[in-house]
Amino acid sequence: MAESTGVLEDPIRKPALVQGDNDFTSITNIVCKVAETPKPPKAWYVTFGISLGLLGGLGASIVYLISTGIGVWGNNQPVAWGWPIVNFVFWVGIGHAGTLISAVLFLFRQTWRTAINRFAEAMTIFAVICAGMFPAIHVGRIWVIYWVFPIPNQMDMWPNFRSPLLWDVFAVGTYFTVSLLFWYMGMVPDLATLRDRATTRIRRMMYGIFSLGWTGSNRHWHRYERAYLLLAALATPLVLSVHSVVSFDFAVSQLPGWHTTIFPPYFVAGAIFSGFAMVLSLAIPARELWGLKDLITTRHIELMCKVIMATSMMVGYAYSTEFFVAWYSGNQYEGFAFINRAFGPYWWAYTIMVSCNVLVPQIFWSKKMRTNMWVVFIVAALVNVGMWFERFVIVVSSLNRDFLPSSWNYFTPTAIDLLTLAGSFGLFLTLFLLFCRYLPQVAMSEIKGVMPQSHPGHGSSEPDPNPEPDPDSDTPPQQGALA
Amino acid sequence: MTTAHAVPAEALEGVHAGDRLGRLARIALYVGIAGLAIGACLGWSGGETEMRHFWFSYLVGFTFLLTIGMGTLLFTMLQHVVGAHWSVVVRRIAELTMANFPLLALMFLPLLVPLMDGSGSLWPWAGHYEGGDPGHAALLEHKRPFLNVPFFLLRIGIYFGVWIFLARRFLQMSLDQDATDSPDPTVRARKWSAPSIIVFAFALSFGAFDLLMSLNPSWFSTIFGVYIFAGSFIANCAWLILCARWLQNRNLLTTQVTVEHYHDLGKFLFAFIFFWGYIGFSQFLIIWYANLPEETMWYKDRLTPAWEMWSWFIVFGHFALPFAGILSRHVKRSRVGLLVLASYALLMHWIDMYWVIMPNMNAPSLGGPADGGTNPFGLMEIVVSVGLCGLFVSALARRAAKHPLLPVKDPLLGDSLAFENF
Repeated sequence: MAESTGVLEDPIRKPALVQGDNDFTSITNIVCKVAETPKPPKAWYVTFGISLGLLGGLGASIVYLISTGIGVWGNNQPVAWGWPIVNFVFWVGIGHAGTLISAVLFLFRQTWRTAINRFAEAMTIFAVICAGMFPAIHVGRIWVIYWVFPIPNQMDMWPNFRSPLLWDVFAVGTYFTVSLLFWYMGMVPDLATLRDRATTRIRRMMYGIFSLGWTGSNRHWHRYERAYLLLAALATPLVLSVHSVVSFDFAVSQLPGWHTTIFPPYFVAGAIFSGFAMVLSLAIPARELWGLKDLITTRHIELMCKVIMATSMMVGYAYSTEFFVAWYSGNQYEGFAFINRAFGPYWWAYTIMVSCNVLVPQIFWSKKMRTNMWVVFIVAALVNVGMWFERFVIVVSSLNRDFLPSSWNYFTPTAIDLLTLAGSFGLFLTLFLLFCRYLPQVAMSEIKGVMPQSHPGHGSSEPDPNPEPDPDSDTPPQQGALA
Repeated sequence: MTTAHAVPAEALEGVHAGDRLGRLARIALYVGIAGLAIGACLGWSGGETEMRHFWFSYLVGFTFLLTIGMGTLLFTMLQHVVGAHWSVVVRRIAELTMANFPLLALMFLPLLVPLMDGSGSLWPWAGHYEGGDPGHAALLEHKRPFLNVPFFLLRIGIYFGVWIFLARRFLQMSLDQDATDSPDPTVRARKWSAPSIIVFAFALSFGAFDLLMSLNPSWFSTIFGVYIFAGSFIANCAWLILCARWLQNRNLLTTQVTVEHYHDLGKFLFAFIFFWGYIGFSQFLIIWYANLPEETMWYKDRLTPAWEMWSWFIVFGHFALPFAGILSRHVKRSRVGLLVLASYALLMHWIDMYWVIMPNMNAPSLGGPADGGTNPFGLMEIVVSVGLCGLFVSALARRAAKHPLLPVKDPLLGDSLAFENF
């Protein structure tokens, strides 16, 4: 069959989620091969080398920062939040697609998520790690960073519970914990598969420890699925809450350009937008490199493009509403902030933001473009650029022209700023490449659950209707339960 | 390839209401006329104050029905854009409801009286507006290019143009599908759905700004359109549940709409009650925290002695209580439980609209008494809303008698009939 038949041509029949002539065994082989092959592809070494180099740069820049002080950054008055907070919001946003795909799409019964959820969840966790780093190093005295937690102490000193920055600590912390649990729990059956296929002692031990004694018994599956559904339901409000709380950092203030009520849903839409773009940026090379094209098919890519388009439009809606209300409010400061944003000294950042976030994704109206991997890859990269600039525009353009013209100041990043940003990509990619190398990139058990073979009564070539009790059973539960 | 389920022959029984809806259409029409007549008499006889009360009540009822219309229209388009299977059996109810947009446009016409009589009794910017604060007059002057009667009417015309066009278009495509075995109309509906939703989103948001936000022309909130969107979707879910139940009690759609579909509608209802709470809370928190007088006045108007209890009731009655109520799977799958909660959610949506609109009548920020006066709730609101609902239901029943209550040849009907939750 052709690689992709989109949804539009035939409303009744959707192409199978898994393409090619695959059965349960071949799925296991495709996915496990990546972790089991003695040597990963050359491209992996090259990117891993570059990532490690960048990570080293990050380490060096942080050491320099902490030993010298925040002055090594371009942050100034009035742009005191500057670069690190831009990066923080950017990375938290990237971390959004994971929960959306794993939890929300699960509740919406979007079975296509099975091919990409593991991937996206891993990406989420690494992105949140990158995000968490920035406020931590921004506080200046990182050795007292534990003061952000409300820990009883002899000084009777508490963080300010009314500060959205503290809410951030809780929101991001909860998000990270639940995402990690969700990711790890979903991986247990697949880790058991890797354990059972392991050929060396060390592999068997490592995968064995982390697969928590999974045997694939009926009772295990039953509990696993209950837990999965519950975690999905618990994680869903988190999709809204994390970035809403991040938006409160800005919106509860009185600063024109920050203080506007649409911020929470607008930030959430933007986060999903950028998160999906990052999933695409990673999935397209990965499926090429590790031969996952039968699992992550063109249709998967196309569906993600549609999500990008939808969220792009939501972001565009927020931009235009903000602009309209800035005028409609009749508040001169509000009006100035927006005119300044679009036509002031940072007009170029605003132009990049609107072009990349609203104009470029419109290309996805064409199915031809949605299914052309080069186009998708470039658009996804541009969306990431655009979303980074959105945060830059919000943070910097709102701050740089203060209420007093005498304190206006242009923000320019220093080399250390740039190195830290590049280094955060190094951290992200290093973790991600390690994940690709050692862990199952695709949720094998879930993807089998959406194959026709697992439908009851499917006249398939599935060999044995009564398989022997098999401790490393690959057979997933019935479709209904997972899909 | 995934295979589609076949449509069993008995699935096409009980889909034609025929004259079974005639009585409803008649009674609803009488109720409608009577309600509006009583309301108008109450307004007329009570002098200027009561006439104002009548117009505000009219706007409440009108907005309530408008949000049901927008909700059902959006629901229909959304099902197409995502290619949903489960919802086919309830989609026609939404399609028939949204076809009431021409009636809604007609219902808007009486509002031209308070709009154009120069009194500004409903929308203050349309008349001699003094405002509660001297600064407001200057503010209003700034907004004059937008908030003036001709431009307002032009915009309302555009919104209704969009709504009527989309509602007719999508109903027509669905009816076309009834007549053919080819999936072309469904494919066409899908192609239309994505761009239509974009246009719709702007009509809904600016409609909300114009009809509701501008009742207090000094106040503004960028999230307001999303707030009304959330309410509209709650109204839609509750409306579909209630209509389906009502039809089933009359031996229509008895086998087609199953507990599974109710369960899903219940989940949607739950999700959007949650979403509404999220949006409402976001708006409140951001305004409360920044504490800027030009924004807080809207909430202060609603925290006057006349309205404070209502505001608390909105928080608990519109969010906390139904949230706890519909959370359980058991309730969503229970006949009585879901019926009660859907009715309650729809009633709360009406109260929400009431809470958004009515406090503007004697708002301190608009020059009203500092304590917000006395709460006006009484017979007027009830009869006017019941009257408008009567007309709405009557038109719907008339239309429903003419068409099948199910998209009988929808290519996804089989899947929808066989749909099961996990």
